[in-house]
Amino acid sequence: MNYPVWIVPYLGGGWIIGIIAIIHVYLSHFAVGGGAFLAITEGLAYKRKDDRIYDYLKTHSRFFMILTSVSGAVTGVAIWWAIALVNPDGTAILIQNFTLAWALEYLFFAAELATVFVYYYSWDKISKEQHLLLARLYCFLSIMTLVIINGILTFMLTPGLWIKTHYWLDGFLNPTYFPSLIMRLLIMFAIAGMYAMVTSSRLQDQDLRSYMAKYCAKWLLPIFLAGPLVAFWYISNVPQATMSTIFTGIQSSGVGNFSILARTLYLSLILSGTIVLFAYFGPYLNPKGFTFRIAILFLACGLGATGSTEYMRELLRKPYVVYNYVYSNGIRKEDVPRLSQEGFLNAGVWSKACTAQGENNEQRGEVMFRYQCMSCHTATGYRSMKKLLGERDEDAIYGFLTMLKETNPEKNQYLGIMPPLTGRDEELKDLAKYLSTINKANVNLTFKPN
Amino acid sequence: MGWLDERLGLEAAFKFAQKKQVPIHKNSVWYYAGGIALMLMVIQFASGILLMVYYVPGLEAAHASILRINSQVDFGWFFRSIHSWGANLLIAVLVGHLFSAYFMKAYRKPREFTWYSGLVLLVICLGFGFTGYLLPWDDVSFFATKIGLDIASKMPVFGEAAASLLRGGHNIGQGTLSRFFVIHVAVLPLLCLGLMGLHLLFVQMHGMSEPGYFKKLEAAKRTYEKFFPNFFLKDVLVWLLALNGLAALVTLYPWGLGPEADPFGAAPIGIKPEWYFLAPFQFLKLVPPQVGPIEGELFGALLMVLACSGMVIVPFFDKGESADKAKIATYYGLVLLLGIIAFTIWGALS
Repeated sequence: MNYPVWIVPYLGGGWIIGIIAIIHVYLSHFAVGGGAFLAITEGLAYKRKDDRIYDYLKTHSRFFMILTSVSGAVTGVAIWWAIALVNPDGTAILIQNFTLAWALEYLFFAAELATVFVYYYSWDKISKEQHLLLARLYCFLSIMTLVIINGILTFMLTPGLWIKTHYWLDGFLNPTYFPSLIMRLLIMFAIAGMYAMVTSSRLQDQDLRSYMAKYCAKWLLPIFLAGPLVAFWYISNVPQATMSTIFTGIQSSGVGNFSILARTLYLSLILSGTIVLFAYFGPYLNPKGFTFRIAILFLACGLGATGSTEYMRELLRKPYVVYNYVYSNGIRKEDVPRLSQEGFLNAGVWSKACTAQGENNEQRGEVMFRYQCMSCHTATGYRSMKKLLGERDEDAIYGFLTMLKETNPEKNQYLGIMPPLTGRDEELKDLAKYLSTINKANVNLTFKPN
Repeated sequence: MGWLDERLGLEAAFKFAQKKQVPIHKNSVWYYAGGIALMLMVIQFASGILLMVYYVPGLEAAHASILRINSQVDFGWFFRSIHSWGANLLIAVLVGHLFSAYFMKAYRKPREFTWYSGLVLLVICLGFGFTGYLLPWDDVSFFATKIGLDIASKMPVFGEAAASLLRGGHNIGQGTLSRFFVIHVAVLPLLCLGLMGLHLLFVQMHGMSEPGYFKKLEAAKRTYEKFFPNFFLKDVLVWLLALNGLAALVTLYPWGLGPEADPFGAAPIGIKPEWYFLAPFQFLKLVPPQVGPIEGELFGALLMVLACSGMVIVPFFDKGESADKAKIATYYGLVLLLGIIAFTIWGALS
């Protein structure tokens, strides 16, 4: 409420972050897992004195370098732009707390980029021992970026002691830090194996292709063996309120928002389970029959599993950006009673300025909608208010909004998935007035404050 | 293993599977359709049995029991969605399997019985779809079944008798629900299992069908791969992919449930059958109420029967002895397929 709002019609700002973030996850996981793959496989080529593997790695590393450094860097910066525009209040809290961590991550990232370029362009120009050393250096640097960013990502779901101390290291080394770090490493190894299957399936040498297909399949073995245990470790540290939301979805109707977490969990489990079977029956048992087309489909399933798991992780902390501290609409939990009593619109710098320009109740209601609802909903597109409100008139909407204002879970069943609404009764009435116009016709966001 | 081999002849079955070969050509991908259909069939049987535990085929209880499955039973909505989406995917895969076999001329000697058993299996699966659609007893399923039975009753000779038998009286009610339930969970599964066994037996007896252009190649240029383990292992991968597709549909678009059927209420506006019945539904809409002395719906139904009868007579028409007949059969198949696709899209958009 202290910053301008970025309006993304139909799709909503959340999806902009989601789409960019999922692509970035695919690339960044490949960058880290692929770093380990390059280092270990080059070590294998060195040990076996096998020039064919060296030749394969040269081709694979070009694909690797272009994909991770160009696309990875572009999407990484794009995430910053997107989160800062869609959720500036939440982003500000993360930056203020983790300035040092992010600066460190940037240093490691810059060093990682420099190393991958040197690695690729120094093939056949330096000794094999030196080149292997470069591969290992790249592997170390890329893992270090994960070591840091993992602390910030897990902080958002399990801030741990930070809630009391507000000391950054308490938030960084939070309860899910280590299980998440190990789980991500396992996923990264699996993804590296799957990407490498695609490149190795193009090899002309039949024997080498079979050997590499089988070798790449083994990169999925760690997650198969350790994944369930680490997942259990992770889940046992996740807030119990979140776990109960999953069980609500298992027991309740499949249609609707309450089951979304359970549905994503099912999809993630099924896709992950079938990938392990796929790796066994495909490249491991039948490496000769593992063609480029099958490798692409396999990779698509793997990325589907990763995407759904990431989406589920994001959903776990609903309705918060930082669990138990800041809601997804940027309002701090501790500010809710004050905002409800003193009013919402005049409490923030930018929302106050916008409200001052509102000529009527409807326009003030629209400002309320932008700041409190639009981080998750759109007027007529994704999670459309028009659809969700159905046939309700202004009074019925107001009644519904007063229920959403309740902070007692017994009176407001939406608290597990939505932030409580804040604001005085007049502000809620303004919001109801505006929402009733969305309801009646195809009215979209119209108010344009200077 | 030795103990089992003595009793089950595993060694012989294993040798047979290794001996069996699958031709490799540009249309080999269609050989996977049968395997996917088999896998989906297994899923349908398993999820159907689970749903039967909670489903109650009573006029007052049917809709409430599905509602309970959907909203109270643990994993209930998940298995119901699997059953509903699985049924739709199965029919789509079977249609693909049928037409791929048709265009590969797999109906020719000695595979006539394989062809007919496959054709009847598709009809049985459509029967599964028709009878299963009514069981939730919601308003759309009620009125869609009413329309379907009304059309069936217009058929000459046995039409009215068959419709009345299925309906269990003059109106759709408890009699219809009971009959559809029994047909869906007992009659059709028994027929399906028997025919599926026969179909698979015929496939093993005659091997994979080879398209004409492949047969004409010199022996040295015709390449094959072993069914076991090579093709089988790839088959497993395709099953896993299909399973993932089904899982994505189930979790991203879980199957809903409409309001309870009200036999005295008006039919919902713009009511349509499931997509696999859209083509005949749309076609019948085009036929005028009266065509000469014949009632429009009867005329339309007879036309459709006539149009599809080519699928039945084709093994005797195109025996592979005449190039002209082969061409006619191909064109007929193309026209029929394009007609079905066009009418289905038209029906969906109208």
